[in-house]
Amino acid sequence: MKKTTPLLLLLVFGLLAGVFGGCTAQEGGLVATVVVTATPTARPEGAKTVLRVGTGDSGEGLTPHFKIIEMFEAANPDIQVQLEPVGSGDYYARILTQIAAGDPPDLLQIGDDAVPMFVDKGAFLPLDDFIASEQYPLDTSIYLPGVMEPGKWNGVQYLLPKDFSPLAIYYNKKLFDAAGAPYPQEGWTWDDLLATAQQLTLTDASGNVTQWGIQLPGPWTTGFEYWVAAAGGSLVSEDGASFVGYMDSPAVQRAVQFYADLYHKYKVAPPPADMNAFGGGNSEFDSGKAAMRLFGRWPQASMKQNPNIDLGVAPLPAGAVRAGVLFWGGFGISSLSENPEAAWRFLRFYTGAEGAEVWKDWALPTVKSVADSSGLSSDPIEGVWLNELNHLAPRAYVFTPYWGQTADPALRRVLESVILDPNANVAELLATAAQEAQAALADVQQ
Amino acid sequence: MTNTPTPRIQRKPSGRLARREALTFYLLISPWLLGLLLFVLGPITASLGFSFTRWDMLTPPEPVGLRNYARMVEDRLFWQSLSVTVRYTLMYVPSELIGGLLLALLMNQVSVRGIRAIRTIYYMPSVLSGVAFVVVWMWLFHPEAGLINGALATFGIRGPRWLADPNTALTALWLMSLWGLGRTAVIYLAGLRGIPRELYEAAAMDGADAVRAFRHVTLPMLTPTIFFNLVLSIIATFQTFTSAFVATNGGPLDATLFFVLYLYRKAFQDFQMGYASALAWVLFLIILGLTLLVVRSGQWWVYYEGEQP
Repeated sequence: MKKTTPLLLLLVFGLLAGVFGGCTAQEGGLVATVVVTATPTARPEGAKTVLRVGTGDSGEGLTPHFKIIEMFEAANPDIQVQLEPVGSGDYYARILTQIAAGDPPDLLQIGDDAVPMFVDKGAFLPLDDFIASEQYPLDTSIYLPGVMEPGKWNGVQYLLPKDFSPLAIYYNKKLFDAAGAPYPQEGWTWDDLLATAQQLTLTDASGNVTQWGIQLPGPWTTGFEYWVAAAGGSLVSEDGASFVGYMDSPAVQRAVQFYADLYHKYKVAPPPADMNAFGGGNSEFDSGKAAMRLFGRWPQASMKQNPNIDLGVAPLPAGAVRAGVLFWGGFGISSLSENPEAAWRFLRFYTGAEGAEVWKDWALPTVKSVADSSGLSSDPIEGVWLNELNHLAPRAYVFTPYWGQTADPALRRVLESVILDPNANVAELLATAAQEAQAALADVQQ
Repeated sequence: MTNTPTPRIQRKPSGRLARREALTFYLLISPWLLGLLLFVLGPITASLGFSFTRWDMLTPPEPVGLRNYARMVEDRLFWQSLSVTVRYTLMYVPSELIGGLLLALLMNQVSVRGIRAIRTIYYMPSVLSGVAFVVVWMWLFHPEAGLINGALATFGIRGPRWLADPNTALTALWLMSLWGLGRTAVIYLAGLRGIPRELYEAAAMDGADAVRAFRHVTLPMLTPTIFFNLVLSIIATFQTFTSAFVATNGGPLDATLFFVLYLYRKAFQDFQMGYASALAWVLFLIILGLTLLVVRSGQWWVYYEGEQP
């Protein structure tokens, strides 16, 4: 037993890093003080306010952060900014323990679907007074449409946008040209998508598929919200109280059925190689064996360099309605920050026009003037992504902070089931999922 | 034996000396003691406390009595994760014990040339980072592009979809973990080396062939090592996390939802730290119970030279 206990204890300890709140807070305080006095820039001690910034970015992704911080510090000699990156997988675990310990960074980066939970529990300061302040106001009309929305909760702005990605359809012009198929254009529909995918799905003499029409993101639930929105459905009531009557509605059934049919009935989509978070594992598009791919903008840079691909990007096809969904990351000020004023000054720089000038080389910029002046708005590829902002439908998480722990796993099971089983009964699966989600919601709210 | 040893006089150390000795003792042990109190005992006690609360880590915990424990009874995923973990343990532990032993027997062939290099190669996976290890295996298991199905295809066998199929995902993770057998084998190897040569010589003189020597010398002499590996193995498999977290995220259809993965999800994705703490305590009790069971059973099958411990 002696050997074994430490292992167990370690496990339990991992869970409970937040317990010694007081202790950690003191240590954190000490560290901060040391940094101030040890700062190499020879300015008088105590004259600087030190801001801590938490981010889940890592590696190369930190470069734009450092660039903006450098620019900001040059313009604001009274403030010093410390970036605290945490490897993406552990980021939320880290800031949750920091908040529980009473010592989170002054500014925190949060992804879209985590916003309601953190804001609802009071982790962030409302920004409306800062935005309207006399000395450091922020003109919110500089932003592209839709990019401020994910930072709001109950109509109040809590976070400002860092970067974002809509969904769109990548296509490989080589394969389209070889098949003599026209490139997809704005205004195309699900029927057009299906026809195009069928034309581009090729089989050999023995019936084996040699080229697929479209690579889909498997059971990736958030990506699937596009199909629901385009079918004219929604997964949850606007008051966030009901999944039954929404997740199992005819529109959602049509969305799931069409998605499943692309895999099984029409056989234009390759089956997933694994069922991991992004339904990833598929590499058919990258290896030139799939003509289209539905996804966000994240892998675009590597696709452009891929010799198998002559890349084009097409708008999302319309179902019953023309719709799309947004993926988003933003920054807010911790409600435990001791320097909210300084934090605001940095936040408005970080996420404003100055910051956007730097971000634009790494992701889509959030500020319209930057998108226009850099030529991105008129670019044949980037312009398509930016145009998707005009068609955004709200994602399910904006209606309830409990989406992620109640309905999302239920929807995921439905998608996994229909992808695995060609004979799955969509209506039945959705009815069960809606009830499961409803029960889970009642349980969480109890 | 003329001079009997003079009886040693047990002198009580003088007060000052005793205090000094005690001081040195506490000084030397203090790092461990502090670590235990601050980082281990404290959090463990606190987690027991949290398991009786509802806590999202953002707002103060709110006491709910035994509700978290009662909830488990009706939580389908709790039972699913327990079932996945138990099934995996039943697959992995025997294969590790037997496979590791066979590997150790092979590695014990001193006469083979390059045996040191072979030992090193077999041990190497144990020092690799868990995540990198799993990512490589995900590629091996890739249904179309993977080496495993590629090899099967050359024999005309259409390989399964491994990680993407709920019927094979757990098996795939099991195969993946067998790569780490080298670690167990090295412990066995130490045990094999500790068996006195005379026993084999005596057995040979009594006419025992290799099989009987293994059955009546090697195995009994190795039981303490098997026992040690069994205990470690059970504890480790009940805590399986990385492979499922990276390769399958618990899917498809919760086929690889390990207990600790579910616990992690509840804590850090669903913000239910109270429930997660309760899960941790249930896991602790399960592992404690199993370990005690194994330790108790030891008196029937573990042979110690000298007396029973």
